[in-house]
Amino acid sequence: MTFAAHPHAAKPLRKRIADASEPYLYSAPALVLIIGVMLVPLALGISYAFRDIQLLNPFSGGFIGLDHFRALGQDQAFFRALRNTLWWTGASVFLQFIFGLILALLLDKPFAGRGLVQALVFLPWAVPSFLAGLNWAWMFNPVIGPLPHWLHALGILDAPNNILSDPHLAMWGPIAANVWWGIPFFAITLLAALQAIPRDLYEAASIDGAGPVQRFVSITLPFLAPTIAITVLLRTVWVSNFADLIIVMTNGGPADRTQIVASYIFTQAFKRLDFGYASAIALVLLVLLLVYSLLIVLLRQTLLNKG
Amino acid sequence: MASIDIQSIRKSFGTFPVLHGVDLTIRDGEFIVLVGPSGCGKSTLLRMIAGLEEVTSGEIRIDGKRVNDLPPKDRDIAMVFQSYALYPHMSVADNMSYSLRLRRSTKEKIASAVGGAAAKLGLEPLLERRPRALSGGQRQRVAMGRAIVRQPKAFLFDEPLSNLDARLREQMRAEIKKLHGDLRATSIYVTHDQIEAMTLADRIVAMHGGIVQQLGSPLELYDRPANLFVAGFIGSPGMNFFEGRYLVSGDHADLRLSNGTMLPIRKREGLESGSAATLGIRPEHVVLADNGALEAGVDLIEPTGFGIIMHVTIHGIPMKIFSQDRRMLKPGPAIRVDLPQDRLHLFDSEGKRVD
Repeated sequence: MTFAAHPHAAKPLRKRIADASEPYLYSAPALVLIIGVMLVPLALGISYAFRDIQLLNPFSGGFIGLDHFRALGQDQAFFRALRNTLWWTGASVFLQFIFGLILALLLDKPFAGRGLVQALVFLPWAVPSFLAGLNWAWMFNPVIGPLPHWLHALGILDAPNNILSDPHLAMWGPIAANVWWGIPFFAITLLAALQAIPRDLYEAASIDGAGPVQRFVSITLPFLAPTIAITVLLRTVWVSNFADLIIVMTNGGPADRTQIVASYIFTQAFKRLDFGYASAIALVLLVLLLVYSLLIVLLRQTLLNKG
Repeated sequence: MASIDIQSIRKSFGTFPVLHGVDLTIRDGEFIVLVGPSGCGKSTLLRMIAGLEEVTSGEIRIDGKRVNDLPPKDRDIAMVFQSYALYPHMSVADNMSYSLRLRRSTKEKIASAVGGAAAKLGLEPLLERRPRALSGGQRQRVAMGRAIVRQPKAFLFDEPLSNLDARLREQMRAEIKKLHGDLRATSIYVTHDQIEAMTLADRIVAMHGGIVQQLGSPLELYDRPANLFVAGFIGSPGMNFFEGRYLVSGDHADLRLSNGTMLPIRKREGLESGSAATLGIRPEHVVLADNGALEAGVDLIEPTGFGIIMHVTIHGIPMKIFSQDRRMLKPGPAIRVDLPQDRLHLFDSEGKRVD
């Protein structure tokens, strides 16, 4: 009986190194890109949070530890921005979701011209956010826009003023624009989920004695739940980071009443040119959103396991 | 339980007519099977009885009460779907009790109804499972359980066995028959499978092109098909047909084939000598005889175990013979057959039966 020579002994060293590195070489192009484009800027940005970086101060740039975070703990403007962010995100996502769901339910029913309407519904999504912001800002302007006059005529406003300059109402301006702009996302994703529900389930339920509301609660909602969870999660993260409309429409004013954390970061970085402090705020926002996402993912997982 | 009355029901989808006036009276406790090829309107008729399709014209009465404009939930009927249509996020028990919960029945009543139905269908060990954890046959059983817990006026079945394999289909067919024997509930069953129709039905409604072709007991349809469609649809392998001219000479008659061959048949009233006609005979009724009148060239032999299906040609016309004679496995190039006169069906030029 003869034994084959041990395979390792037979191979030259160079061949062995080539074999071992093969998988890494294959994945290298993708990994280098990901590291170069995503991880390096992320690490750099995080490092700014611990350094004193002010564009107008040539002597800045030194490591200052947690000084930014200590300052942040005392910064009333930051805490107001945090509260505004909750308000802005909560109201925007809630209204986008409700109107998107209603729209999806309407579009799910067959009617003449449905294909055209489905295409038109997608239109706001295609409008650049800055353009949408400018448009809505003009519509709220009583000199050129109709909205203040309509709201006055309906008795909602005492006088046809610009709500964007009213400290108590200003936030509703960007929220209205955001809702208009974000409805299609919910409408289209929910419509896709709705159309995946087998029709005979509704027929079986109607024979079992379920009315429209009961059919919605016991068939539509359970089928939509996973989609709702994931879209609400996505949109929440998205909207809370979404400062375009606020920057364009109110620039955080009046008196910081519409300043959200994302627009506050923008103000700190590009108006005060304090990149270090802006990075520290951004890091806090990142941690908060990570915690939130984790909670939603856990919730979705338990829902799916239960289902 | 109730009788169902259907009077001159018509249905059009847009301008496209699907049902051209159907009349049907279903007695209390009767098992009716609607049978026909795809697109004959049988499912549409069932869905109209269920209230899932609007009635274009005509009238449907359940237990004497007009239900045309009632929503499905107020008709007190139960339906078993081809896809089962079980609620995937509910357990088997919840699937079965859903209708009772919607009607706000008491907990005790629900428990006893679900328990009773589960016992009848052997579903007790599965009550806590979800539909996706069940096999096809088990899902089918749950769908039936969901129908029977409510004790409705009528059961509607829409091709309930089509998604099962042949063995399971046979088994569930027998179970449905047994269940109907126990419950004696008015049932309407849609299928394209003529074996299901023959085995289950008290009466069969054979449909084609949105028109009822024949209504009768299974053996009536088999023994005395009203027209060419029913003759060809009921029975497997299907009936053989010969086209020709009906000729009377004295007190007997013949069918003359296009090549001049005369096939002797019984004389019929109501058909003029010289008119076009079609002769039909079932494969199992052709008699093999060494001194038979006709010569048949053998093309193909299909042994089924139970018997032998022989594909032969008689006077240039292809036909099938069913025989249980094992010697026919190796019949040689040609055999001789007889077509017994009392087994022959004659249809006029419009396809109607002539006796």
